[in-house]
Amino acid sequence: MAKIGTIHNRDSFLNKISKSLNRPRLTGPIPRPEWKYQPQHEVFKGASPDELLDIMKVHCQKIHTNLYETDLKGLPDVLNEVVEGYGGGPVVISKDERFSEWGLDSLLKKEWPSRDMAVFEWDYTLGDENVRRAEQANVGITISEITLAESATVVLFSDKDHGRTINFLPATSIMLIPKSTLVPRFTQAAVKMREIHQQTGRVASCINFITGPSNSADIELNLVVGVHGPIKASYIVIHDL
Amino acid sequence: MKVTLFATCIVDLFQSNVGKATVELLERLGCEVEFPPSQVCCGQPAYNSGYVKEAKEAMKRMIETFEHAEYIVSPSGSCAFMFREYPHVFKGDPVWEPRAQKLADKTYELTQFIVEVLGIEDVGARFEGNVTYHTSCHMTRLLGVKEPPMILLKNVKGLKFTELPGKERCCGFGGTFSVKNVAISEQMVDEKVHHVEETGAQYLVGADAACLMNIGGRMERLGKPIKVLHIAEVLNSR
Amino acid sequence: MAMKISTEKFNDRVEQGIHDSFMRGAVAGAQDGMGVKRRVVTTDELSNWEDWRNHAEEIRQHVLANLDYYLEQLSENIAQRGGHVFFAQTKEEANEYIRGVVQRKKAKKIVKSKSMVTEEISLNAMLEEEGCEVVETDLGEYILQLDDHDPPSHIVVPALHKNKEQIRDVFAQKIGYTKTSTPEELAYHARVTLREKFLEADLGITGCNFAVAETGSFCLVTNEGNADLVTALPKTQITVMGMERLVPTFEEMEVLVSMLTRSAVGQKLTSYITVLTGPREELDVDGPEEFHLVIVDNGRSDILGTEFQSILQCIRCGACINVCPVYRHIGGHSYGSIYPGPVGAVLSPLLGGYDDFKELPYASTLCGACTEVCPVKIPLHQLLHKHRQVIVEKEGKAPFSEKMLMKAFGLGAASPALYNMGSKMAPVAMNPFTVGDKISKGPGPLKAWTEIREFPAPNKERFRDWFKNREKGGE
Repeated sequence: MAKIGTIHNRDSFLNKISKSLNRPRLTGPIPRPEWKYQPQHEVFKGASPDELLDIMKVHCQKIHTNLYETDLKGLPDVLNEVVEGYGGGPVVISKDERFSEWGLDSLLKKEWPSRDMAVFEWDYTLGDENVRRAEQANVGITISEITLAESATVVLFSDKDHGRTINFLPATSIMLIPKSTLVPRFTQAAVKMREIHQQTGRVASCINFITGPSNSADIELNLVVGVHGPIKASYIVIHDL
Repeated sequence: MKVTLFATCIVDLFQSNVGKATVELLERLGCEVEFPPSQVCCGQPAYNSGYVKEAKEAMKRMIETFEHAEYIVSPSGSCAFMFREYPHVFKGDPVWEPRAQKLADKTYELTQFIVEVLGIEDVGARFEGNVTYHTSCHMTRLLGVKEPPMILLKNVKGLKFTELPGKERCCGFGGTFSVKNVAISEQMVDEKVHHVEETGAQYLVGADAACLMNIGGRMERLGKPIKVLHIAEVLNSR
Repeated sequence: MAMKISTEKFNDRVEQGIHDSFMRGAVAGAQDGMGVKRRVVTTDELSNWEDWRNHAEEIRQHVLANLDYYLEQLSENIAQRGGHVFFAQTKEEANEYIRGVVQRKKAKKIVKSKSMVTEEISLNAMLEEEGCEVVETDLGEYILQLDDHDPPSHIVVPALHKNKEQIRDVFAQKIGYTKTSTPEELAYHARVTLREKFLEADLGITGCNFAVAETGSFCLVTNEGNADLVTALPKTQITVMGMERLVPTFEEMEVLVSMLTRSAVGQKLTSYITVLTGPREELDVDGPEEFHLVIVDNGRSDILGTEFQSILQCIRCGACINVCPVYRHIGGHSYGSIYPGPVGAVLSPLLGGYDDFKELPYASTLCGACTEVCPVKIPLHQLLHKHRQVIVEKEGKAPFSEKMLMKAFGLGAASPALYNMGSKMAPVAMNPFTVGDKISKGPGPLKAWTEIREFPAPNKERFRDWFKNREKGGE
């Protein structure tokens, strides 16, 4: 358990607020309000996984992201093709047993290294070396935990094996998306995040919602794809997961 | 149906032709029109400039003048909205708030009254010409009247309609804004004039005399040959 | 940079704005383009957009009404996760706390992601005073910083007023750029230059889009991914938030983030929404080892409980700026504040005082376009009107001539007899100025009107006279 942090100047600050609001300080837990409006739950309500995938595919065209579809059997070939399309390695991946379960060992551990494509698997025991490797990588590969159909967004939770920078430092980014992770929109992810917190008392220190490659419109409102984060991004949807 | 006309001071003093057209039109549609001569200004110029105390005096006179009415109709979206706003202005005032509320509840802008109360969509008008229409901000956004003028214009025989580009954008009038920030107002009205010209229309029509005075005054200064008409005048042509 | 960005007079700033033709083209283009994009993802796509606005409004109102409770909950949860929370009543207190952290960590190289509140408290000036190199990493902010701290002109697109040639020149002069003015090449150069800065920084500073009380989290919304590098690489992180920017739980955060991205840039979501909670966990490799949240009041609590409270609902999307017909023609710098447009015209006098910003509430036609698009339903044009009322009634800052005129209005308009007499006299009084049926050079208040437009001569027969005569005629 991490050590407890410090809080400074709180009482005078909050007392001023309650004074402005013309009432005593609120201290006890206040019940969660009964909201009058809840439109967010209506979006794509009851859509099937296939319908959600279709919604996502359409939106991918707007976010400069290629979407590939495959089943587990075809996954190594598709992944290989996409990585080669991005110019090959070095590749950095999170430390995740699913790569192995999904039959990618041979590609990641034999085939690519034998073709001089270095694959670095995140290893927290190596400390800052991980960041250096991510910075040098051409491709970062991660797995989406929740996928938002409406905005074509992948959701990633950081921990010791899933470094934050895998998704930001490499020049390109590939996300593997089990089809079963598809939900209509952000709403369902937010509900899930609350559930996890309520069940475990914990929240990942970093949760990323990533929608395509990085971009900016700060120069004359021209959209430039690829600013600080990845310049290109691809999604690979795996049908039988 | 008895209609009490809230003519507005601009119409009374500068655009009496608009007032005449409004009366004739309403009568033709079967209304009996009265004009209480004790009506003054609705108070909007002072109110919008922040002089609420001064404005309230005018508002009280208007409430007294109009509270007997069955329907109050005004050929100006902005001024009609001002009546609708009175209950907020007098909020908490035990005497005037309820009186203001009653007034607000029976106040209508002219085209709104024709379409929503009289239930008439074709007033039987004929107007030959190419027309574009300025949707005034207070009328559309604050009073919420968007469709009625369109419906009525669409049914005018002979009228060719072209939509105004950027129609939702303010013309730069804004009451005292037009004189307080004249440099900005000039840019705004110039963009509006430019869009009016783009339509190729011979007539710019609107439902708010103040906006029309602004755009029309600028077009006249610039020597543009486009004529400005109040929608009452178009609907009253046969 | 403080809130006030200019010492020039309002009218002079407006003149400059009006004559900056590149800026005006850029602003008009941005408004038109953004308008279409915003409409597509709001009213077109979501048939129940009004329900979304109602929900966003009820969330914001609930939080403001219970702000002390949620801030307490937030701070407890951050401390539980090992983060440090400092409540700063003033900008000086905020800066002193941050100065302390900088000194203790011996931080010299600082990277920042875009934050309006750090502009508001002039944080960069303090950090530079401390001898730190502070690098703004949002591309737009970076451009402005390189250009000798040119102020932002838009809260979402800060360098909107600059064209790519100007940007190329700034890059050439300041960071040895030798290529063309194409946005791709400029952006790539910034990427390479800033990548170095990210990797060597010892302190990262961010703003906060929304904090989440229930979990002690906060989220950052960007398209560039700069905030992610600011929060992943340096060992120490300081986040500065305006005290009102929080929500009860992830569920409300979701709604407001959705409203923000749709309203600000017409996107369903931006490329990166990042939810951060405390410092890195024990075995994590990236993320800060030390995390500080600085919660800033700086005048906000004085707005709470007043008729202006609803401005604190603001989520800084800039939609009001993108539809404002006045901003369209004068640009952001004319407002003289880091907060331009309708939101700025309401907020700047409240946070910065009427002395510096009393013209802003009048720089509006009260057309209501801002109110119509506001995703959290702030009645912006009504708040501008309330400011006018305060300026007239409490501050006494209205010009004398206007006061006299309005007094006369009060008398004249309130009295049917006076109105009748005055209006009857109008054609006579205006006669010397009337040519044909118009007035081209009016006296008094008409002077400004007739500078640019004709004014109609008063009707010889008033409408009321026509009506009366007609009744007499027994028609």
